[in-house]
Amino acid sequence: MGSRLVSLPALAAALLGVVSVLAACGSDGSQQPLNLSGGVPVGAVLALTSNANAYGQDQQIGLDLAQRWFNGPGLGGQAGGIGGKPVRLRIEDGGGDEQGASQAFNLLIDAGVVALIGPTLSQQAFAADPIAQRRGVPVVAPSNTAVGIPQIGSFISRVSASSAVIAPLSIAKALELNPGISRAAVFYAQDDAYSTSETTIFQKALTTKGLKPVTVQRTQLNDQDFQNQITAALRLHPDLIVISAQAVDGGNLIRQLRELGYKGAIVVGNGMNTPNIYPICQASCDGILIAQAYSPELATPINQTFLKLYKQAKGGAIPPQLTAQAFTAFQVVAEALERLNRRQPLGALKLAEARTALMAELLGGRYDTPLGEISFTPDGEVVQKNFYVAQVRMQPDGRSGRFALLNGSPP
Amino acid sequence: MDHLLQILVNGLSAGAVYALFALGYTLVFSVLGVINFAHGAVFTLGAYFTYLLIGGPVGANGALAGFRLPFALPFWLALAVAGLGAALVSLLVEATAFAPLRRQRSDPLLTLISSLGAGVVLVNLVQILMGAESYAIPAGTLAGLPAAVNLGGATVRTVQLLLMGIAALVLVVLTLWLERSRSGKALQAVSEDPLMARLLGIPAGSMIRLAFAISGFLAGVAGGLVGLSVSIAGPYFGIGFGLKGLGVLVLGGLGSVPGAVLGGLVVGLAEALVPAEFSGTKDGVAYAFLFLMLMLRPQGLLGRPQSSKV
Repeated sequence: MGSRLVSLPALAAALLGVVSVLAACGSDGSQQPLNLSGGVPVGAVLALTSNANAYGQDQQIGLDLAQRWFNGPGLGGQAGGIGGKPVRLRIEDGGGDEQGASQAFNLLIDAGVVALIGPTLSQQAFAADPIAQRRGVPVVAPSNTAVGIPQIGSFISRVSASSAVIAPLSIAKALELNPGISRAAVFYAQDDAYSTSETTIFQKALTTKGLKPVTVQRTQLNDQDFQNQITAALRLHPDLIVISAQAVDGGNLIRQLRELGYKGAIVVGNGMNTPNIYPICQASCDGILIAQAYSPELATPINQTFLKLYKQAKGGAIPPQLTAQAFTAFQVVAEALERLNRRQPLGALKLAEARTALMAELLGGRYDTPLGEISFTPDGEVVQKNFYVAQVRMQPDGRSGRFALLNGSPP
Repeated sequence: MDHLLQILVNGLSAGAVYALFALGYTLVFSVLGVINFAHGAVFTLGAYFTYLLIGGPVGANGALAGFRLPFALPFWLALAVAGLGAALVSLLVEATAFAPLRRQRSDPLLTLISSLGAGVVLVNLVQILMGAESYAIPAGTLAGLPAAVNLGGATVRTVQLLLMGIAALVLVVLTLWLERSRSGKALQAVSEDPLMARLLGIPAGSMIRLAFAISGFLAGVAGGLVGLSVSIAGPYFGIGFGLKGLGVLVLGGLGSVPGAVLGGLVVGLAEALVPAEFSGTKDGVAYAFLFLMLMLRPQGLLGRPQSSKV
């Protein structure tokens, strides 16, 4: 026993030494020069697995197209990348939970990326963004719409407009199309930051229009059977149902609503803003209303280029909002990098300096994107002019459809 | 009254899914005394097999992107074939994750972990081949049947009614087979005392494989039916059902076939009794109920104090 006690201080000292060495070795290299040997390193964290993969797929296409457009010659963009160096995008799968996104953020930051795009879900952003904030890495969120995301910190920004801005538009459109609506029922996924944030906006918008919800039904992201909630809601005879959920659970909910006999209007939130809902709710998707931050009909050169690239890649299909927002996120980072490089050559900057300077450059710019012209508030919130409302129109076979912009959408 | 009937129907329809899932669990447990954690993965495979057999195409992200079988079977035939495919996979799980450890007389805990590993491998394989996206069996598959039916004032989707009927049918067939057939009695003998069964000339290995095959078939059919009811939400589709099925297995009584069905229905009803406004907490309520029941009756609703039973 005595010899064990005697050895403790030595053991503690040895451990301290090992920890110090490991800490030194584990430095993220932020005081080293920015490594441009393989191009300008940018990271992206997308949900490529889990239930949220429906969004990640749309986003991956947007990032791939933006990378080709920005780096490649002859595509109408900034051919050749930044000062002759391409933007080298590394995409990591963040899955659909907080842990996956946080791990992917750490991995990419350790790998020396100068900026991050992502993560896919607001729920993930509330966990992963503080990591980037602590380590001084700029983040551009392509799809986080929950209230409070840019307020996480000075390195956090987004190109996806807050649900506080977008969500009320679809409620207004539903009432415009169906002036007799008098009984609204609300459904939302209570274990999801985006859904809980958005439903607050929806409920406030309903109350503003004099429609206090007759019931508020809480679901969970992993729920698949909504018989209990639906039958309880339908007993109250709603003529408008407002849903804040993700694509898979929301798609199932809509299908079961229709199968159980609901025939009234349905308004859904941004979580269902993807064509990947078509295989889930199938013909039952028809008629749902959803606010949009992107219009394929926007007649600007950059949107026409984006449309052309997307149609080439996807056999003539029309790009969804999430793809346009991912393209925009890449564009914002790349153009800010290019401006910074003109001001201070990136190769002369340490990684930490480059990250800090990039964030300032990013927030100070104006961008002509597929979403229209955008800029940022000082705290990283996107300033966007154009929003729309779409109605899903399914083909008779129930397998494919489109988001048809409605006439009279807000300009 | 209508409201109470609706709650009852809601509970039974959810419970039927849990029961169907737990029946496969319980069959393997009754023979080996260990839980087959790969059961959820086999359930998932049953759903994917059904989808492919009705002619569904693979999405854009898997290694088989764009692949489609050159034929398309009618749903009910596809479901049966998918069940057989799942039975084969279940036999493969038995041969790789259970049999080698059994031959070495390893601790049952090791089998638990090896079956979990087999399940993870299967799920990852599905993800590699089919991608992580969701798939749905077309809503018109039950063409000719209404989307929902009214039972004395309570509304239920037709597909859930079918699930209830099939769960009841499986319970009856399985019970009759175990009680009346020679092979069913042999399986019971192996579950009661494997050594004695061997001495009586019953091939224990064959009986174990039979249990796995039936368990896999049930999981595959349940997966296909649930896939029809609520879509196939990616390769991890079976995990949630697996956890719930485990609770049902314990509640009903480990290894008890009627117990699995009763446990499923009780859990379904417990969930349905949660006021709809608070239904986001239904899992918590169901597990709290399970905990209370086990405090009162540790062997489960229909379980016996001893471990060996069918």
